[in-house]
Amino acid sequence: MPQTPAVTFCAVTRHFGPVKAVDGVDLTVAEGAFFAMLGPSGSGKTTCLRLISGFERPDHGAIHIFGQDVSAVPPHLRNVNTVFQDYALFPHLSVRDNVAYGLMVKGMGKAHRLAKAEAMLDLVKLADYGARKPAQLSGGQRQRVALARALVNEPKVLLLDEPLGALDLKLREAMQDELKALQRRLGLTFIFVTHDQGEALSMADSLAVFDKGKIAQIGTPAQIYTQPATRFVADFVGSSNLLPPALTLALGGPAQWASLRPEALRLADTGPISGVVQSQRYLGTGTRINLTLNGTDLAAFVPAGSPVPAEGSQVTLTFAPEALHLLGDAP
Amino acid sequence: MPFNASRRLKVAAAAGLAFLHLPIVLIFLYAFTTEERSFAFPPPGLTAQWFAVAWARSDIWPPLILSLQVACVSTGVALILGTLISAAMAGAKFWGRESLSLLVVLPIALPGVVTGIALRSAIPMLHLDFSWITIVLGHATFCIVIVYNNAVARLRRLSGAILEASADLGANAFQTFRHVLLPNLGTALLAGGMLAFALSFDEVIVTTFTAGTGAASKTLPIWMLDELIRPRQRPVTNVVAIVVFATTFLPILAAYYLTRDTSDSPIASK
Repeated sequence: MPQTPAVTFCAVTRHFGPVKAVDGVDLTVAEGAFFAMLGPSGSGKTTCLRLISGFERPDHGAIHIFGQDVSAVPPHLRNVNTVFQDYALFPHLSVRDNVAYGLMVKGMGKAHRLAKAEAMLDLVKLADYGARKPAQLSGGQRQRVALARALVNEPKVLLLDEPLGALDLKLREAMQDELKALQRRLGLTFIFVTHDQGEALSMADSLAVFDKGKIAQIGTPAQIYTQPATRFVADFVGSSNLLPPALTLALGGPAQWASLRPEALRLADTGPISGVVQSQRYLGTGTRINLTLNGTDLAAFVPAGSPVPAEGSQVTLTFAPEALHLLGDAP
Repeated sequence: MPFNASRRLKVAAAAGLAFLHLPIVLIFLYAFTTEERSFAFPPPGLTAQWFAVAWARSDIWPPLILSLQVACVSTGVALILGTLISAAMAGAKFWGRESLSLLVVLPIALPGVVTGIALRSAIPMLHLDFSWITIVLGHATFCIVIVYNNAVARLRRLSGAILEASADLGANAFQTFRHVLLPNLGTALLAGGMLAFALSFDEVIVTTFTAGTGAASKTLPIWMLDELIRPRQRPVTNVVAIVVFATTFLPILAAYYLTRDTSDSPIASK
């Protein structure tokens, strides 16, 4: 028997006046998945999240959560919970009462709900912070409270709206690992929205890349990264070289748009690409060199340990033919 | 930028503050003077007898009770209507919203005489007799603004996301109002209410226009004005002034402390 998907969108549209925030989106999120919605701001990913939580209603199309059509279900009756972008903790309540809030409004007794809240705070490693007010916590701690406050309700789907956006880099990386581990342990469906492609690629099992209210591509991180469907995806995810049709033809491919990863380009004695190094940037794990070929900027990645050609020197580059990835855009 | 005031500026500032506050000290001083016909400085002697005299004077109590009654009812009306307007204005976006907001706060910018004359001529059209109720109507015009200003500033600061978070966690609209909105609005309403009370309690101009005739419509500030022409027992007026001072200053002080940590201090909006 096929498993019921956690969330499905069927031709969902949501327009704000002339703005097509979500424009005919079809989507299936499997139960237990860590699903990312990736896109630049204004691409419709947050509206999609709000359609699932119920704060937006679709103009057209249907949304199902575990097989149930939720079009007429208001937010407070949906069995999904959200970790909001700026956490949206209740400033007047203690951390413990914040976490117990969802249980309180459902009528659970005080002793019972506070015990559950404490257990959940323990899970997010904030066991001793129950009596504090949100204002007395650091950004990372508030993030955990927001997480505990959502998870204590045992939602079927947890929605996370740019959950790590307000944290500094180091904390963000630590929280990425923690969120991932927590999701594995609880076996819940996580859907998270981000504009950070590195975050989406490293955390998600599968992701949807949004562009102007439509989904440009859905796939696993590896598929999205190595086989982008369109110029937009190739450009937004990672730092691919975009080749116009004429250049693809010159490099031995058909006259189509194509992408070529900087890591796929190698320094060689002979090769189809030669040019002068315009600039270089040290990245730790290697050095990125930039050159111009027939008016197109190209970047190549020289791994650490290899000799790095100096700026202004003539270099020749080669690549494996299968690294040239053709894109679906019209030439 | 650190700013080192010159000596002259310091003296000028001290003189300014003295000009503002010394008369208040004089009120206190003259409440204890032994000279009852004129305010001679320095007082020939000091006595506490005027407090006992004031307590025993039967003509003080009705105005005091009336003033308290008017201030309480005006504040109550203002709390209900001001909160409702602010909730409507904060939650909605519509054409003309800014103009409407200006119309709501206009009564406090309008000179008291204008409000007074307007009400004086409008109230008979409603076939209402001038009484303590019409005083309340007059006071409510500016008390509403105070409550509205406080509530709307708090609502603006309050992240709309916490209302959504409440719904997301399963709360219905009433639970969100009871557990999230009201606790966060509470101190703003309390502060606005106390300030409104203080403003109403010592209001003179609008009161003169909206009060009926006779003793039943004489509020405490009006009584004090009448007392100035009395030749005897003048320090009694000062004793009453101290009462008025305490009744209005303490709520304002409390309101200030209640909203001290926030940007929407009612003192700033007064």
